[in-house]
Amino acid sequence: MKPDELLPLYGFVQGDTLGLLVLVRTTDTIAQLSASLQEAAQMRVSPSAEFVVHHRDRRLEPTSTVVAAGLTALDRVELIREPGA
Amino acid sequence: MLKRQEWLDLARKLDWTYSYVQERDVFPEAMSGRPWLEHEHWKNWDEPYRTTFAEYVTGQHEKEGAIAAVRDAVGKVADFGRHDRAWLSALKLHGATLPLAEFAAVVGNLRAARFGRDSAWRTTAAFGALDELRHTQIPLTVLHELVAWDPQFDWTHRFFHTNEWVAVAARHFVDELLLGSNPIEFAIATNFVFETGFTNLQFVGLSAVARDVGDRMFEKMVQSIQTDEARHAQIGGPVLRKLVEHDKAYAQYLVDKWFWRAWLFFAVVTGFAMDYLTPLKERKQSFREFVDEWIVEQFERMIHEYGLERPWYWDEFVKSTRYYHHLLYASAYTYRATVWFDVVLPSPEERAWLAEKYPESWPELAPVWQRITERWQASGPDVEWFTHGVTPVGFCSLCQLVLCGGTPGKNSARVVERDGRRLVFCSEPCVWIYEREPERYSAHRTIVERILAGEAPANLIELVRDYFGLTEATWGKDARRGRYPFTAVASGGNAE
Repeated sequence: MKPDELLPLYGFVQGDTLGLLVLVRTTDTIAQLSASLQEAAQMRVSPSAEFVVHHRDRRLEPTSTVVAAGLTALDRVELIREPGA
Repeated sequence: MLKRQEWLDLARKLDWTYSYVQERDVFPEAMSGRPWLEHEHWKNWDEPYRTTFAEYVTGQHEKEGAIAAVRDAVGKVADFGRHDRAWLSALKLHGATLPLAEFAAVVGNLRAARFGRDSAWRTTAAFGALDELRHTQIPLTVLHELVAWDPQFDWTHRFFHTNEWVAVAARHFVDELLLGSNPIEFAIATNFVFETGFTNLQFVGLSAVARDVGDRMFEKMVQSIQTDEARHAQIGGPVLRKLVEHDKAYAQYLVDKWFWRAWLFFAVVTGFAMDYLTPLKERKQSFREFVDEWIVEQFERMIHEYGLERPWYWDEFVKSTRYYHHLLYASAYTYRATVWFDVVLPSPEERAWLAEKYPESWPELAPVWQRITERWQASGPDVEWFTHGVTPVGFCSLCQLVLCGGTPGKNSARVVERDGRRLVFCSEPCVWIYEREPERYSAHRTIVERILAGEAPANLIELVRDYFGLTEATWGKDARRGRYPFTAVASGGNAE
């Protein structure tokens, strides 16, 4: 994977009604990915600091980058609400 | 002079032994379907209507006369103009998805009229082809007059010729169901599952709704079509019975596959109409109640009569009757510029009705509508974009519909690696259908794949205008432009 490459991901926000296709940079942090997804779903789901990004049943660290988290093109990521997160 | 019963079978059931060609060459398996059986096995094939050509022509002539009379009386622009805008959207949805699909059914029936394995089957299929031609022409004729009045009705004919996402999904379904199936698969998929199993949703449910709404034209149209469907749907049963006798596993596979595919289609076209686009005071039954009564109970009993089991995903299907069309409708509402009909925001009274009808699922759906309502309250009326998505959405690699499977709490979409390609499916049945016949589906690309390949624009406005073929005059909007009593609380508020 090239540095700072654009990566399409399938994103699912808990409480939402459909799956979205978000484009992120590989150098983006997981927190930025979360913000992008929440913005994309905001007309249906209220943004919240409680959302945590999950990938294959693994909780991703908000400070990690997309590439460091091991995400690849068209992976499925989920935003799951975790009270107190 | 011979009596009807004395000459009828000479006209509709006349098979003979081939002397200079093999039966397998006249009915090759690739065209006639499998299992390939000698005609001896099919010779007792029959259906109950046993219609003669003269009876057919006379009956159809009378039906056409009745349709014309109703059209003259209540089929003018002024008559349609009296309906609620939401109901007009139901007409636009049905008007677009059905007529040219019926035209594809002409082809499927004509293939059976040539390659069906018994002459009585072929005769009934020939009538079926004529039926479907009529089902194409009636809605095209009735709705054509409305095009000048409301350009969204132009999609009655235009829809299947576009790359609009519902059209892509509908074509994917219809092409396989009606154009790509051999007569045996066509008989199970179309005549048995689609026409016998599901079309009561249209012909009983929606017809009753249309009557209550006061839309006598739509009511008459679907009732007239139903009388044809009831006849040619009879092809399915005797073919399925023979298939069960010779290859039960294949029969079960075809039923399971087509039940799921038909369910997704009807969830869109009938689910939206019954639970959202019909004015509340006219709703007698929810979509779920109708599915429970007419599909869950009747279809289950019917397949057991043929010695088959209910589809392996039955529990998932039943659960999806509580969720799927709701998720899809809310998604379509917030991407309404991508469709050719207007949508409505359910009122507090409608939400209370939906909560009563869907006690298992509505608590998870209500927050979505509350959020949309708050956005309208913040923006004030006419600010469509504030409750509209701009990010591209995912589409299922099998059904080509938006990834709306499962529940708001847990979407059931799954990414699957296949031949170096990443596919995404909205549900386990869609994965299963694809994996059983990947050669049938692998060449098709979802809209997301087309965007990523540079064949379709990623920008939503460009996608809608240049790729879907919608214009500002035809793309979907909120039917009331956000002017609801319950969104007026903060009207004049500023968008964020």
